Amino acid sequence: MLLFRKSLQRWLLGRLPLQRAGRLGQKRIYLLPTRFGLLLLLVALAVWVGALNYAVSLAYALAFWIIGLMLVAVLMAYRQLSGLSWTVLPGEGVFVGQHADCRIRLDNDSALARRLQLRAGQEGEPLSCLLAAGSSQSLALPLLLARRGRHAYPALQLWSTAPFGLMRAFAWLRPDGHVLAYPLPVPDRERNDLHSEQGSGRQSGDDEEDFSHLAEYRQGDTPRQIAWSVLARRDVLVSKRFASQPRGQSIRQLAWQDYPATVDVESRLSRLCWRVQQCEKAGQHYRLHLPGVLIEPQPQQRELALAALAEFQLPS
Amino acid sequence: MIRSLLRQGEMAVLLAVALVILPLLLLLPPWLPMLVLCMLALRAVLLRRQAVLPSLYLLLPLLLLAIGGLWLSLNTLVGREGGAALLILLLGFKSFESRQQRDWQVLLALGFFLAAMPLLFDQSPLAAVWLAISLLALTWAMLILSGEMVEGSLRSAMQALSLSLPLMLVLFVVMPRLPGPLWSMPHDQHVAGTGLSDSMEPGSISQLVQQQEPAFSVVFAERVPAVSEMYWRIMIFDDFDGRRWQNVRGLSSETVRWQGGRLVSYSLTGKPSKARLPLLEYTVTAPAGGVLEPGNLFKLARDGDELFRFQAESLLAGHYRTVLSRADQDFYRHLPPGNPASRQLALQWRAQGGDGAGFIRTALQYFRLGGFAYTLQPPLLNSEDGIDQFMFSSRQGFCEHYASALAFMARAAGMPARIVTGYQGGQFNPVGQFWQVRSSDAHAWVEIWLAESGEWLRVDPTAAVAPDRVAQGVSQSIPAMQPQLPVLGRSMPGWLLRVQQNWQAAGFAWQQWVVGYDAGKQLNLYRWLGLGDQVDSGTVLRAVLIGGSLACLPLLLLWRRRPSVPPLQQGRHRLVQALAAMGIVVVDSDGPLDILNKARRLPEPDYRQLKALLKEYAAMRYRQPAAPQQARQWLRRVKAFRPGRQ
Repeated sequence: MLLFRKSLQRWLLGRLPLQRAGRLGQKRIYLLPTRFGLLLLLVALAVWVGALNYAVSLAYALAFWIIGLMLVAVLMAYRQLSGLSWTVLPGEGVFVGQHADCRIRLDNDSALARRLQLRAGQEGEPLSCLLAAGSSQSLALPLLLARRGRHAYPALQLWSTAPFGLMRAFAWLRPDGHVLAYPLPVPDRERNDLHSEQGSGRQSGDDEEDFSHLAEYRQGDTPRQIAWSVLARRDVLVSKRFASQPRGQSIRQLAWQDYPATVDVESRLSRLCWRVQQCEKAGQHYRLHLPGVLIEPQPQQRELALAALAEFQLPS
Repeated sequence: MIRSLLRQGEMAVLLAVALVILPLLLLLPPWLPMLVLCMLALRAVLLRRQAVLPSLYLLLPLLLLAIGGLWLSLNTLVGREGGAALLILLLGFKSFESRQQRDWQVLLALGFFLAAMPLLFDQSPLAAVWLAISLLALTWAMLILSGEMVEGSLRSAMQALSLSLPLMLVLFVVMPRLPGPLWSMPHDQHVAGTGLSDSMEPGSISQLVQQQEPAFSVVFAERVPAVSEMYWRIMIFDDFDGRRWQNVRGLSSETVRWQGGRLVSYSLTGKPSKARLPLLEYTVTAPAGGVLEPGNLFKLARDGDELFRFQAESLLAGHYRTVLSRADQDFYRHLPPGNPASRQLALQWRAQGGDGAGFIRTALQYFRLGGFAYTLQPPLLNSEDGIDQFMFSSRQGFCEHYASALAFMARAAGMPARIVTGYQGGQFNPVGQFWQVRSSDAHAWVEIWLAESGEWLRVDPTAAVAPDRVAQGVSQSIPAMQPQLPVLGRSMPGWLLRVQQNWQAAGFAWQQWVVGYDAGKQLNLYRWLGLGDQVDSGTVLRAVLIGGSLACLPLLLLWRRRPSVPPLQQGRHRLVQALAAMGIVVVDSDGPLDILNKARRLPEPDYRQLKALLKEYAAMRYRQPAAPQQARQWLRRVKAFRPGRQ
């Protein structure tokens, strides 16, 4: 039975395409009575048999009324899921061994409040959510990441037994999303001091600085930095950022080649990861150099660098 | 206060099941439902205080004690009373054992089953109303238990029940009713006692007839007698005190000479009551396991109420010839004083008719043509001279009235007479291939001893008044309306009479179409609706499909009638979705400016478009209320807004 259920489920999931967003309809929603529903059906059957035996007409009415209620419950449970839209939200990366959030957003554009539950796979801890009419909600399912790399979102089961608890309407989602597991940082103090730097950071001694990118206005930005043209167009305060460093600061090189050949891939990545974090903490500019990958200082460098570390594969 | 109490689904469940068992206070020994109600109340208090529940080691002995008390007061744990009593006891104890939601759901399901219990005792319209109330309470408790908000839950429960009502009605009408029980009855334990009492007075049989319980079942070997020939005799009443017939003396011995008739062999299964079981008239030799008593009655050798089955042979339409001594004849002619008018009429009939057979003819003709009506609700016979009142003024009655009157008349005319009670007719069960006789077939008729031929002759005055009763059974023979009847008490004003008659007619319609809706009526309905000439799988399927789809129309209407979201809200929602596709997450608390702020990194044209839309939104939402048309136009533009698609 269990085996059959597993294979049925695999077949079911195999049929589903990976999707970034979707809307639940007839094809996706399955309905099964809950344990309570089955019990009530049994009660209806018992009442019916009693009605037959004792020829009690009103007991027929009771039995059939319960059956009617079950049918209404089917429709109402179906309505809980029907027309519900979902969108995959990008998940934030975490370090190996931590829980990442698989984030999904549910949009209820009907005038009906919905009571839903969501879980990863068949065994996960369910998350409940109450979606008021015309509202949206983001749900985050924790997922333990045990190894480095890109982890696809698991298949999700979305279900509701509302309003009676008699019927269970459920749908499987295969969200097309992923979370990254960054390498576990391993301290590497000997390469953390400035003296161990190799190569040459670009020292720019002159006042002329190169425009790099626009970023959100921060308190303390000089009027010279404000992008007036943007302000005029969009009513938003935006500051210019420049590529050059404050005087006297260099760009630190974090490179694959920093380590002797005896150090294996994962240890290298873990150490580099720790060093990236140290630089970020200290506000130190850095350049990450992996075989085939070069991450220069730029906006959101941390995410890019960590992603590169997470997804790194030795070129074969 | 009440609201906060009911916020707990468990409390709602307790309340609902308490409501369901309330009518059992009237139907069972009252201490029992009272005990269970107290238990439910105590459970509610414990629930409110979040107290620890008593342990199983305490509960189990208590349960056994209660079951013991039940046994002492009812003498049974099965059947209608015993079963219902045991079930509510279990319900009370289950509530003390309920901790998780699953337990409460079991309790609720038990409540649904218990809602059927009062119906075994009473099927009046009031019982139907209570059934609806019980269902509403249970459904409502189900909603709250499963986590719905208390606000509006009663309305939702009503809505769900009224949506399922048409489905129920269709199933009620079209789902096949078997003429008999589901499984083959002769081997089954579910046979009730024969239920006839030791004496007969007006009302004693008509009460029985309103129940539908199976009394006994019969299988015929080869030849099956006509329904009108099936007289199942159980008891004889030979003494009349002016109101009640009783069995006072009986005969110590009887020599019978059987003549004529044809033999029919049958086997009968039933639960004896006071060691008596019915015999088909007339059974010549005593079946194994009992003796034939004088009067052609069957008495079992052993007392007890276990199901008993016997084989017998019966002489259909035979002559029951026996010699009555002078003293016996006098005994069967004895009458108390009173009822002068009837006595006079009896003597007149005797003079008219000549011999005994002539008297019987005259008497039956009087009943047939004298404006008599056959009804389950006759006016009360409260005068000293009850027979006179029945014969000359009320003229409405059930079989016991007619039998009583005829036996009186025969005795008044100087002919030995007695009353036989038992059952008449039966219903064939084509599935089990047996005949089912129910309480509703209970009947009483008269035997008159003809001096000329020296035989007891069966005379059934009911057959003269309502020929259908004997040919087709009780339910077909009670006429629906009796507006032409002279009702007792001339002084009754016209409107009251009409009210009374309408009330009776409504009660009869209820009896006929709801309580008495059976296989025969169903077949008639199928034919009338053109669904088919018989109730079989094909026609039932067709009926369920047609009726079911009609009954689902309200559901469909509910489905179609989606209350629409106002355009402003819908539009904002659209915008949020469109932005989410671009990776911009907007939360519900964000106002238009927050949204705009978050959307800064949109491409320039998209950003400008969004800004215009949001500006308009803010104006309609916060500055002046928007005209519906304006809002809809805005919504259309929102729908056209697709960022990132240049």
